[in-house]
Amino acid sequence: MSTAADRRTVRHLPLALVLAMLWAPWVPLVLRAFTDSWRFPAVLPERMTLRGFRTIAAPDSGVFEGLVLSLEIGIAVSALACLVGWPAGRALGTYQFRGRRAVQALLLTPVIVPALAAAMGLQILFVRLGLAGSPPGVMLVQLIPAVPYATSILAAGFANLDLDYETQARVLGARGPRRLLAVTIPLMRGPLVAAAVMAFLISWSDFLLALLIGAGQVKTLPVQLFAAVTATDTTVAAAVALTMVAPALLVMAAAAGPLARLSQANLGKGPL
Amino acid sequence: MNHRRCIPALVAVAALGLTACGADPATGARVGSISTAQGWDAVVSAAEGQTVNWYMWGGDPTLNDFVNGYLADRLEPFDITINQVKVSDTAQAIDTMLGERQAGRSTDGSVDLVWVNGENFATGKQADLWACDWAQHLPNAALFDFGDPAVAMDFGVPVDGCEAVWQQANSALVYDSEALDESDVASVTSLIDWAEAHPGRFTYPAPPDFTGSMAVRTLLYDTIGGPDDLTGEFDESAYRDAVPALWDRLNDLEPALWRGGETYPQSQDQVEKMYADGEIDAYFTYGPGAVGDKVAVGVFPDSTREAVLAGGNIANNSFVGIPGNAAHPEAAMVLANLLQDPQTQLALYKAEGTYPGIDLARTDRATRDEFADVPRSPSVLPLERLLADAQPELAGAYVTRIEHDWKSEVLQR
Amino acid sequence: MTGLRAVRPRPVRLTRRRGGVPVALLLAPALTVVVVFFLGGISYAVAQSLGYQPFIGRHELGLAAYRDLAGDPAVRASFILTLRVALLGTAIAAVLGTSLALLVHRLGRGRRWAITMAQANLAVPHLVGALAIGLLLSQTGLIARLAHAAGFVGAPRDFPGLISDQYGIGIVAEYVWKETPFLTLLALNALGRGTAQLGDAARVLGARPWQRLRHVTIPAVLPPLAAGSVLVFAFAVGSYEVPYLLGRPYPATLPVVAYQYHTDVDLTYRAEAMAIAVLITALSVTALLAFLGLLGRIARRPA
Repeated sequence: MSTAADRRTVRHLPLALVLAMLWAPWVPLVLRAFTDSWRFPAVLPERMTLRGFRTIAAPDSGVFEGLVLSLEIGIAVSALACLVGWPAGRALGTYQFRGRRAVQALLLTPVIVPALAAAMGLQILFVRLGLAGSPPGVMLVQLIPAVPYATSILAAGFANLDLDYETQARVLGARGPRRLLAVTIPLMRGPLVAAAVMAFLISWSDFLLALLIGAGQVKTLPVQLFAAVTATDTTVAAAVALTMVAPALLVMAAAAGPLARLSQANLGKGPL
Repeated sequence: MNHRRCIPALVAVAALGLTACGADPATGARVGSISTAQGWDAVVSAAEGQTVNWYMWGGDPTLNDFVNGYLADRLEPFDITINQVKVSDTAQAIDTMLGERQAGRSTDGSVDLVWVNGENFATGKQADLWACDWAQHLPNAALFDFGDPAVAMDFGVPVDGCEAVWQQANSALVYDSEALDESDVASVTSLIDWAEAHPGRFTYPAPPDFTGSMAVRTLLYDTIGGPDDLTGEFDESAYRDAVPALWDRLNDLEPALWRGGETYPQSQDQVEKMYADGEIDAYFTYGPGAVGDKVAVGVFPDSTREAVLAGGNIANNSFVGIPGNAAHPEAAMVLANLLQDPQTQLALYKAEGTYPGIDLARTDRATRDEFADVPRSPSVLPLERLLADAQPELAGAYVTRIEHDWKSEVLQR
Repeated sequence: MTGLRAVRPRPVRLTRRRGGVPVALLLAPALTVVVVFFLGGISYAVAQSLGYQPFIGRHELGLAAYRDLAGDPAVRASFILTLRVALLGTAIAAVLGTSLALLVHRLGRGRRWAITMAQANLAVPHLVGALAIGLLLSQTGLIARLAHAAGFVGAPRDFPGLISDQYGIGIVAEYVWKETPFLTLLALNALGRGTAQLGDAARVLGARPWQRLRHVTIPAVLPPLAAGSVLVFAFAVGSYEVPYLLGRPYPATLPVVAYQYHTDVDLTYRAEAMAIAVLITALSVTALLAFLGLLGRIARRPA
């Protein structure tokens, strides 16, 4: 017997399978975060616990400090990337000038070419300048991927911006700063939020640059998570992992609107 | 001695009344007469308000808690803060120091103290990265017999006061008594027999992992009948005589190992995780004392036991060293001294089962009793058993060479 | 991907700059970051790979590091593994991403929940992904346990070694898991723009489903998907934490070997580490150029 419902189920089976595949890794990760003893071949945990979260909540664990440090660095990277990306985005999105294509290509290269070589090359200079092993040093290298992303998002935003509003405001006598605050920024709110979120997430997820330049001294959350994953206690590692995912998801959810419009403009988040 | 390297250490050394770096080049690093009480007070007061950037292997949560809890609390009266920099391999700390050397940063370095021994210490010493001639002047130096090779030498390299003893590490085999019985863990041969009968249930981390390297040397000792043929400085012909049988044995063992020996775990942590998950039944460790804690919290099964294989176990001391360009050498020295404090050693023994690095015979009776009274997990071997057949380490050059050749002779084969 | 000129949502109205701040000044901060840190860093890595170590007084240059690389069996194996893992991860993610996009697109009005479901992993750091994939696929992972419960597997070693395996299956799985949603989104956006009407028109004109796919859907999806794939490939070539956590000591991928050499206490390995980093850069630049060439060919092709 083949009913319409059956047919629909069959029709959606491939979709359900792919989605299940994308969600499957969460099952052991979440279970593991609340599990103490889970030896093979038990399918379900033998003993549930909050030990993982208690361990990282303890004042000595350093995970909370790592969270705060990652937030600070992330916000700084985000703000700087937007500040630097704004004028460049304006230039690329609004004006025609000689060498525009070349500048655009140059600014996009770090989106594609990994920053590994640059960070490795810079490391010794940063050591000499006293920037290695310091949060500002890590922040600076994280700008390498963050600025190009922010710039291209803002450039796309400016390209779609109706300049007539600005002209109107100028004609009506609004001065530069006033015009910026009252007209341009509100009009650019979407791309600006998207750029800020992207830059933040780049910083938030970065491990390798923090490792190379931070030299183990800048203990951002990813650095702590890596240490936890390579250590023996998987329960703690899973708990740190969930702690790290939560803010990223919150930021994504909060900025869902601008990010959705951003993807309309065909600017993917990129493989962070 | 390179004078540039000495500038920051000089402050501390001067405070101790030492002349390590400003020594007459003709006689080398001479240690001047020291008025201990006054000198030490000067170190302590210079250390006030400093933060010690302590680079150490950070894979052990209990130890991390000890550092950031107990030790941090005890440093509070000195107005010293600990910044524990967790590294997955001590070589990273040496690398940071070398990087600073390479960048010409001879003062104000980012590393103040390193938990170190063996080849990493040797590398640092060879590159002249350490501040030296301070360890024997710590107030707690009285708790050591500096004539004892275990204190004066580190993997065959003279310590020369460039590092201060902290812990003692005795290797042991950890096993699940539900999978292996005592006859299986009697000797290396019986262990190999067991592994061959139960393929895939045993492995060791790929050297240069510290413990993996020890596992290989344990088999080496067993293969050539102890370390006697390879004592002293590195000798190429002795080495060439010793190793072929070892490589044969390790390659023969491969089919019995995890993944049929076609690959090895990256680290000791991964090995312990596999044991916790029930993927393997036995592994070698340098930290048998820490096993009790893992059983207690349920990470390891209750049936976990330890054994010393016939032929003995490899033992060493681990130390803390201060880089020559350390920014806070005074605070690092105060911490090094605190680490040797009998109460610290006792607290660490209680927390972790870490065996004391100090000579207990030099402590007072009350302290010895306190050590004896610490309850011991049934999973963990008593100290006497671990010390009974302790074998010394080989010179660092042998160790490095074995690790290097293991890659081409075993891993990449 | 706007900068790659894959697709533009709206025609850009570019005006000539009149008065105000010169364009060069507007661009200066962003260009400084890219030129000084990125290009400068890479140049300095190249210089160091050639043996330039000014702070310890070494200024003579040479190709020794590159010769060492060519002769190093660990590096040769690593090069092949890296290419294989990156290509495989990208290809599978692209196929899965496109399929998922087509499946979701077909849902019509009800696709919103499916898009949300498919998107959720976008913000998840790769480190978390590596841990989760390990917990799922290892020989004591959840799937191995389920296989045991179903009676397929006795001991962990009976389950295929998918993590720390010779072929980097675990690494590929993580890339696929994390990048499929990204490529799905790119494909979905391409599908959303006008292909529906074109498809309808094609249907009305009597095009078979296969022809519609061939002549309408694929041309619309291909350019952004290719652009995204270049990103994924370049990322995979330069990724460290995923292959470290899910790979094995030998062979390891290029970034893992580069970091290992970079942190070797024997400083002579530094130049070799830099050379590997340069090699990684060259690989991703090659992918980028190949993509741009391909795009040029597509653009020139008569419609």
